Amino acid sequence: MTSQTQLVSRPLNRRTFVRLFGAAGAGALISPLLSRASPNPSAPKEQLVGFPEKTNLILRTDRPPQLETPLNYFREDFTPNKAFYVRWHLEGIPTSIDPGVFRLQIRGHVEKPASLSLHDLRTQFEPLSILAVNQCSGNSRSFFEPRVPGGQWRNGAMGNARWTGVRLRDLLDRSGVKTGAVDVSFEGLDRAPLNATPRFVKALGIDHARDGEVMVAYQMNGADLPMLNGFPLRLVVPGWYATYWVKALHEITVLPEKFRGFWMDKAYRIPNTPNANEDPEHLATDTVPINRLSLRSLFVRPEPGEQLTRGTPFEIQGLAFDSGYGIQRVEVSINNGANWQVAQLDGDLGKYSWRRWRLPWLPETSGKYLLRVRAFNRAGHQQTTDLWNRSGFMRNVIEQTEVEVT
Amino acid sequence: MRFLIRQFCSTLALLCLGSLQPGDGHFEARTQPSIADSSTEVQGSNAVRHLALPHLEPNMPIAPGRDEFMRACVTCHSARYVTMQPPFSRRQWEETVRKMINAYGAPADEFQVGKIIDYLEAIDGNGARPQTHDSTSDDDEIGAAPSVALLEATESAPAFEVAGSAQDREATARRGAVIFGEDCAGCHGDRGRGDGVAGQALLPRPADLTAARFSSEFLRQTLWNGVHGAPMPSWRSLPPRDLRALTAYVQSFHPPTNSGIAAPESLALGKVLYEKNCLPCHGSTGDGKGPAGAALAPPPSNFKGIQPDFDYIQRVLGDGIPGTSMPVWKDQLSESDRIAVAGYIRSLYDPAE
Repeated sequence: MTSQTQLVSRPLNRRTFVRLFGAAGAGALISPLLSRASPNPSAPKEQLVGFPEKTNLILRTDRPPQLETPLNYFREDFTPNKAFYVRWHLEGIPTSIDPGVFRLQIRGHVEKPASLSLHDLRTQFEPLSILAVNQCSGNSRSFFEPRVPGGQWRNGAMGNARWTGVRLRDLLDRSGVKTGAVDVSFEGLDRAPLNATPRFVKALGIDHARDGEVMVAYQMNGADLPMLNGFPLRLVVPGWYATYWVKALHEITVLPEKFRGFWMDKAYRIPNTPNANEDPEHLATDTVPINRLSLRSLFVRPEPGEQLTRGTPFEIQGLAFDSGYGIQRVEVSINNGANWQVAQLDGDLGKYSWRRWRLPWLPETSGKYLLRVRAFNRAGHQQTTDLWNRSGFMRNVIEQTEVEVT
Repeated sequence: MRFLIRQFCSTLALLCLGSLQPGDGHFEARTQPSIADSSTEVQGSNAVRHLALPHLEPNMPIAPGRDEFMRACVTCHSARYVTMQPPFSRRQWEETVRKMINAYGAPADEFQVGKIIDYLEAIDGNGARPQTHDSTSDDDEIGAAPSVALLEATESAPAFEVAGSAQDREATARRGAVIFGEDCAGCHGDRGRGDGVAGQALLPRPADLTAARFSSEFLRQTLWNGVHGAPMPSWRSLPPRDLRALTAYVQSFHPPTNSGIAAPESLALGKVLYEKNCLPCHGSTGDGKGPAGAALAPPPSNFKGIQPDFDYIQRVLGDGIPGTSMPVWKDQLSESDRIAVAGYIRSLYDPAE
């Protein structure tokens, strides 16, 4: 595809538009392409619900709750706490927390196990803020084809926030990690009705846990975490999928051996292949725990179904992120990939934040357009057109969206 | 929005957003309090935080296997986990059901597995999903009609011997305590008070097992069949001696005393009021099989097998039981009438049945 790409290094103006499409040809050029199946299913009627501390969000499931952020909240750099998506695994989510009684336990392969109050965390450790994307492993799962079981998210199981708390390294150092530590496990307060259901425990390697970036956050966007986003504490693992960002974190255990829990060994596994891709007919046998975020770029505007008017300037908007290498360039096509233009990037808010982009567009001809977007990062990663795996994880294909100009 | 108990967090979050500055580093360490900390002082109060979860369970279509599905699956998650899925083949549904059993411990035996897959396939597998509607909609009917499958699925539990001697009972109850902790406490709470962490969002709420006496026969049938229309699953996959131990342990929650009988004149009044108001659903003998009760899910309480505490009955008459057809009676019955009805209901208990 790259060889056919024509890069246009400045925002599209009228003359460029005419040169690319021909004065009358846009409609004719696009129509045959539209007959292909679009990866976006026709926008279903979504049910919006209000949960405590939340604005109306898209209801995926009610118990335990999975609530999706509507696309329009991504027109900001930071996703408001009230609109931040929600995803729990076990039905018994914490419904009552006494901040005066709550303690974070640090235990296991350490010299001095600790039991820290929220006050201790706020006063005895250096506070730290990180701007970081939190994205569910299964974000955009509903766009996989063939379809796969699981939470049927569109693109709203993600958000960008400023996380404030303390370095995990500082907590571990205070307790004195013994030599020979291998993993650190993290458990939240959520519980399943049945004891047979494995408790939700995730783990990171000791070096990752001590990298000075992984943190225990007590704030999100300058406020307490909402109960549904993990009040009072949440593990923040910048650049990694949200399955590691354990909510209502209450126990940190240092282990002298590899952690062998269900949620690492059996669940949240991805094919050990480039981009976690596998063939539905020949599933990969070698799998690894999901880890760093894939490079992604997404449309925020136009939204599905948004109508544009011929001759009226419009700004195509979106966002892009990766696992911390940094977004180098975003390219947008308004003719289904025949030609690409470089979008303007908004300011760099930090390597784990998403970066918003925009591209002015003056649609001169009425008809349907297929827009595409792709990002490139500083590590040389590119997005691809095809991705499938059995769990519907890590979707990061080159997005396309259809827009009608009248 | 009626569930919004606190809005100030989000308001403050928005206020703080305006102050965020793009930085060239990806994180900033601070030693001085910043705006984030000042808001912490406002919010970081030691006030206990609560989360009142709304109840938004979908009403599931009637089809064979519905009861097995509701009991084995909906205890741990809303049926919406199914209704949000795209159409899948029978093979895909079977994979999912087996994963739920093998990985997450869903309580279903091989017989029930087949029924559950039948149900999932019938409502979804071929893509022709019957109309469902949400319990939030205006035209919601409380209590779906009993399914055909109910008749097949509800069967008499096999007899198991209930421990006789006090010593034997105690040992059995100790064993039951362990099983209860594993399989029941999640919803019913460690002490059986119906306050388990996983029961918070369930409707009807898990039973408070300390608020009534339960006959062995009643517990036996309930453990074997679950409760139709409620998240209580069938536990027939447990070995009989575990079911027996659970029965003994649940009975130990309730002190054997507290069996006062109301005065005869009060009983007579209670009988008149019961027959006028309660009999249509709960039946003339209190067995829960009144003429209007057959269509209800969960079914009306069987007072021959349950003897609720006096205070509990008062509470239920005052508030009804959310998630069931049991209405509020405090506007229809005076306080003295409610006391008389409670006394009569308690007199219906017949553990020998």
